Amino acid sequence: MNIRGLILACVLILPAAALLAVGPRERHEVPADRVVVRYWEKWTGVEGQAIRQLVDRFNAADGRRLGIWVEYNSISNIEQRLLIATAGGDPPDLAGLVDSRVAQYADQDALLPLDDLVREHGVNLSHFKPIWVELGRYQDRLYALPSTPFTIALYYNRALFRDAGLDPDRPPRTTAELNAYAQKLTKYGPDGRIVQLGFTVSNAMLGWWPWVWTNFFDGRLWDGRRFTLDTPAGRAAAEWIRDLRESVGRKQCLDFEAAAGPIESAQNPFLSCRLAMVFQGPWMSNWIRTYAPELDYAVAPFPSATAERRNAFASEDVFVIPRGARRPHEAMTFLAWMQRQENLEELCRLHGKVSPFREPRPAFFDDHPNPFVRVFDELAASPDAFGFPRMPMWAQVETEMIVALGSLLRGDRTPAQTVERTQARVDAIVQEYERMAARRRGEGGAQ
Amino acid sequence: MNSQGRGSLLSGLLWTAPWWLGFLLFLAIPMGASLYISFCDYTLLQPPVYTGLANYHSLAADATFWRVVWNTLLYSALAVPAGAVVAVLLALLLNQSVRGQAFFRACIFVPTIVPLVAAAVVWMWMLNPEAGLVNQPLRWAGLDAPKWFDAPGWAMGALVLISLWFVGSPVVIYLAGLQEIPQELYEAATLDGANAARRFWHVTLPGLSPVVLFNVIIAILTAWQIFALPYVLWRGQPGPQGATYFYTMYLFDNAFRYLKMGYASAMAWIQLLIVLAMTGLIFWVSRRTVFYRGG
Repeated sequence: MNIRGLILACVLILPAAALLAVGPRERHEVPADRVVVRYWEKWTGVEGQAIRQLVDRFNAADGRRLGIWVEYNSISNIEQRLLIATAGGDPPDLAGLVDSRVAQYADQDALLPLDDLVREHGVNLSHFKPIWVELGRYQDRLYALPSTPFTIALYYNRALFRDAGLDPDRPPRTTAELNAYAQKLTKYGPDGRIVQLGFTVSNAMLGWWPWVWTNFFDGRLWDGRRFTLDTPAGRAAAEWIRDLRESVGRKQCLDFEAAAGPIESAQNPFLSCRLAMVFQGPWMSNWIRTYAPELDYAVAPFPSATAERRNAFASEDVFVIPRGARRPHEAMTFLAWMQRQENLEELCRLHGKVSPFREPRPAFFDDHPNPFVRVFDELAASPDAFGFPRMPMWAQVETEMIVALGSLLRGDRTPAQTVERTQARVDAIVQEYERMAARRRGEGGAQ
Repeated sequence: MNSQGRGSLLSGLLWTAPWWLGFLLFLAIPMGASLYISFCDYTLLQPPVYTGLANYHSLAADATFWRVVWNTLLYSALAVPAGAVVAVLLALLLNQSVRGQAFFRACIFVPTIVPLVAAAVVWMWMLNPEAGLVNQPLRWAGLDAPKWFDAPGWAMGALVLISLWFVGSPVVIYLAGLQEIPQELYEAATLDGANAARRFWHVTLPGLSPVVLFNVIIAILTAWQIFALPYVLWRGQPGPQGATYFYTMYLFDNAFRYLKMGYASAMAWIQLLIVLAMTGLIFWVSRRTVFYRGG
């Protein structure tokens, strides 16, 4: 190597070596006398900051006293990584999941049942609203504890209600009323295009929960053994979607939805007063505050088929302890601390979610970023509150429900055909799952 | 083998160890394991249960499987030739000695280094039925502007159109191939009275054929692995009437959402066989259509 090459190599290599030797790095100052609890969570940004704040507080006080150090890691694609880490025998001690995955993971024996641990650590489950505990159960065992729960309600634009001659203090109380309101609130341009839409259950704009509608007709999709879309409730929901669509014009509706921006963006048509009513969670007020602070809106329970029932969709992020965790007791100690009302409500408030407790502290409501948080909280207390169907094969079934809703919205099939087809496909998925599960248990012979 | 030969062999193995150890640990053994798992029911969280050909039988009867095979074949059949034609045409243009040649070459290549997700978001706006740039001229012309992402008939077209945005890499390879074609051949053709079209057909295309072969094979491999773009554009959903649900998306869903690793492994092996068969077919066809200089 000539002298020029040597100088060039030094110029390139020396700074890199210096950076490696003394450059900035993540600090892992775990005190020597602490047991480390590895905690994986999916949150980033403001949500990540909120949980980190609580973890730091635990480490600084109770953790020091109890000899526990919680090592918090924000993990992208946490579901896949948790799966692989658990399969590889090296899972974290604690993880954050979404409740829709609990049945699947529990059925695969990937989660530790928490019933005994909860008892040992004195976590009083009766302090929570029943739905939030229920969503963490699978086959009568508790596998998950609530972290940040939410319900979904009807946001409506009061100004558009007034313009349409509707009382802004009298939101729709039944699904039939909702259809009538939606029709009144839909306006067309001179070319026949929709310029303002009353309400839609579109996959493109609100595709997060394509399966919920049957529940508002008092049906539940899973009775523990059978998928039940082909019940009167399932059929009524499919017909309601068809009617809603046809009352404002199927093609015009599709055109409107194709051009509308994603619901979680500034192009959300509710924010630009092009959509009068929307089915959304408590976080919606953050978007309104950011993108449309002048919006005159209110929140009401989403109507059911009859005014007597108050069906409400409830879902939550949860804490789980994976099977194979090395420090389940220490993880539970931290979890028990997190489940204290002041800590959990702080997390929920910072995330803009609802409190899981039966009686939230007044300060929770006073400081909450959503002015309508009480509506969401009351929905969780409803005896008709429901969550994701606790089917271990739910991920596969959900895909079928997405396809079914798309088919209804485009009018590819009649409601009856859609229900029959989806029911048959899901029945096959359930049967296949059960057949495989039996084989794994050694109950069935090889095919 | 004498001791010197053995020593030489050992020394060779030692120095090539990083490659063959990597090959064994990260390719050969996982592939073998995947082949075995394809004959099992395996959820990743419980030990695999041998089920023979059950996964392959189930795949044969799975309507969604055939749907994704068809979608992927259709996408390959549209995107690969369209990409090749556009890339060759762009390479021919960029091969002209004009002012700002380097700038134009950079313009064509830059989209390939834009992250896929960012490109997908840009295209969501470009193809927005009302506000998108692509539909504006159609509307001015009094045509019914398509709903690119929401109409089953247009969704595939939208994806193929977007795939052309990424032709920068093959263009660079075609450009290098064009510069390898001897100028004497063009001069001889001109002397023989060949016009530009004939020179392209009889000189450029045969001279470029090995590069076309290479790019087409790479494009087929890429087409059969399409995942990120439709996943972002349709939010991981199957698209309108399942029109943009592709092979690798269904494989991913089976593996990581449905926890059917055996099923997904069987799909992976079928995918390998399909791609091998297509590559073999192309090589067989290329015996008569690809011209190797000095070969």
